[in-house]
Amino acid sequence: MLEWYTMYMPISGVDIFWPGLVLIGFSVGCIGGFFGMGGAWMVTPGLNILGFPMAFAIGTDIAHIAGKSMISTFRHSKFGNVDYKLGCIMIIGTVIGIEIGAQVVMWLERLGTIGPVVRWVYVGLLALICIMVFYDYYKANKKKKAGDVGEHGAEGITWYKTLHRIKIPPMVHFKTAGFTCSAWLPIMVSFLTGILAGFLGIGGGLIRMPALVYLIGCPTHIAVGTDLFEVMISGLYGTFTYGAKGRIEIYAVFVMLMGAAIGAQIGTVATKYAKGYGIRIAFGLAVLACMVSIILKQYGFNTSATVLILGAVGSICVYICWIMFSGAAKELREKKAASH
Amino acid sequence: MKKRFCLYYISCVLTLIFLVTPALAAEVAQGKTVTNDTKTKSITIEEYDINFTPQNKYGNPTGKTMVFDLSEALIGKEAVPGDIVRIAYKVVDGKNKVIRIMNVTRQDIMKK
Amino acid sequence: MRKRLHTLLTLGATVFTVFLPELVRAAGPAAEMLIVVADSRRVSAGWGRYFVDSYNTNPLWFGLEVTIITALMGVTLGLITDQIMKRIGIDLTSRKIVEH
Repeated sequence: MLEWYTMYMPISGVDIFWPGLVLIGFSVGCIGGFFGMGGAWMVTPGLNILGFPMAFAIGTDIAHIAGKSMISTFRHSKFGNVDYKLGCIMIIGTVIGIEIGAQVVMWLERLGTIGPVVRWVYVGLLALICIMVFYDYYKANKKKKAGDVGEHGAEGITWYKTLHRIKIPPMVHFKTAGFTCSAWLPIMVSFLTGILAGFLGIGGGLIRMPALVYLIGCPTHIAVGTDLFEVMISGLYGTFTYGAKGRIEIYAVFVMLMGAAIGAQIGTVATKYAKGYGIRIAFGLAVLACMVSIILKQYGFNTSATVLILGAVGSICVYICWIMFSGAAKELREKKAASH
Repeated sequence: MKKRFCLYYISCVLTLIFLVTPALAAEVAQGKTVTNDTKTKSITIEEYDINFTPQNKYGNPTGKTMVFDLSEALIGKEAVPGDIVRIAYKVVDGKNKVIRIMNVTRQDIMKK
Repeated sequence: MRKRLHTLLTLGATVFTVFLPELVRAAGPAAEMLIVVADSRRVSAGWGRYFVDSYNTNPLWFGLEVTIITALMGVTLGLITDQIMKRIGIDLTSRKIVEH
């Protein structure tokens, strides 16, 4: 049992293949840094496939999000892109939502159905992400062929205009974001996102971002900053509540954060040098592989699930690292040449 | 930038202070339930050691029995004689006061 | 279309979250709590032992500790890696923020 490649997790009492843990942390950092979109969707399934009980996988995922989001919020707040008033109002909904999500997880754990339920919900979520990524690629391709290089088309859904007309007090004006609406609107949005985030152990940006833009009517750059702020809050509260419920494996959080810190830098730097849409396809394939591996795990093919998920996220990391190292080397070479 | 660093260091120091507050220590014992009396709220176990082997994944019996007081314990699934339990306890006035008790046999959370 | 997909995603999530509690209620009565005791006999003295002990003794305290330490660790690691990148000479300040 005590081979070099396993690490004893004292709280959940399982022996874990620790290089897998480092790889998952690193990939999440790398992919998150590169695409600017969480990446937490692979942590819960990944941890579960590596051998953590589902509730521990969710708790550990949310704790690692808290650690990771701290730094990105710090960075972002420098640009003044956060509407703190909106963020603070949304805290109410987020916190209550997370708590409900976590309570549901604990309930399902008692009933003994948590594994399959969370896995199938994840399969659904990843399928949606997959469709989104591939459809985007398809559309961009078609546009390129048609010779249309214009920016986004006409304004599409403007639901927020209707929603802003609902005048349930208290009405609040958000100065940074520049609109007035009933306080209940952001609270409801953050509440529903919070439930999902608490239940799946994700940051929730995937849902919250579009909701902020299309339902609340935030300008995109403010939505990005405010969403990051909200991810941090939801991560911190999620960590606390899952910790108090005893479902966080603190060793795993540390190991993953180490990997994530390095990965995030590589990912963000790589965005400087990335060209083309090809990487999106790689991303979509990674999501697809993650989805398939969850299904494999569900039907008891543990080893193949582990190999598939680690292989998929590993290869996309290698791709991003390659972009970064070749790009950085070129830049440094050019700098040197310029100084001579 | 300086202000942020100051805040950061202050929070680091506070955390350290927070962490050196009296450590919360509890003993842990694991073993096979011999009797579990719900009326007197006490449980007797035969203690196991920590030499885990594939045959004895919960450890080997030491032959030593221990009695625990469950009056203030957080109890999950009720243990019946024969169940393997893991107990976190404190010794108060010579009594083994249980804080929480885990029924290892019946809640095999690893499978989920 | 991307917007429509986003809306679809949001709608799906909303429906799901609204019906989730109902789903759980339908699943049956609540069973007993699952209590986890960390096996501190297998952890030698030090930081690990400290965490395991507070886990076993006071879960609320453990939750607070984990939150604070995770947050500080995130910031520390972020600052350190930022410094390293600066030393290497890669300029991160001028980059565009790429989200989505």
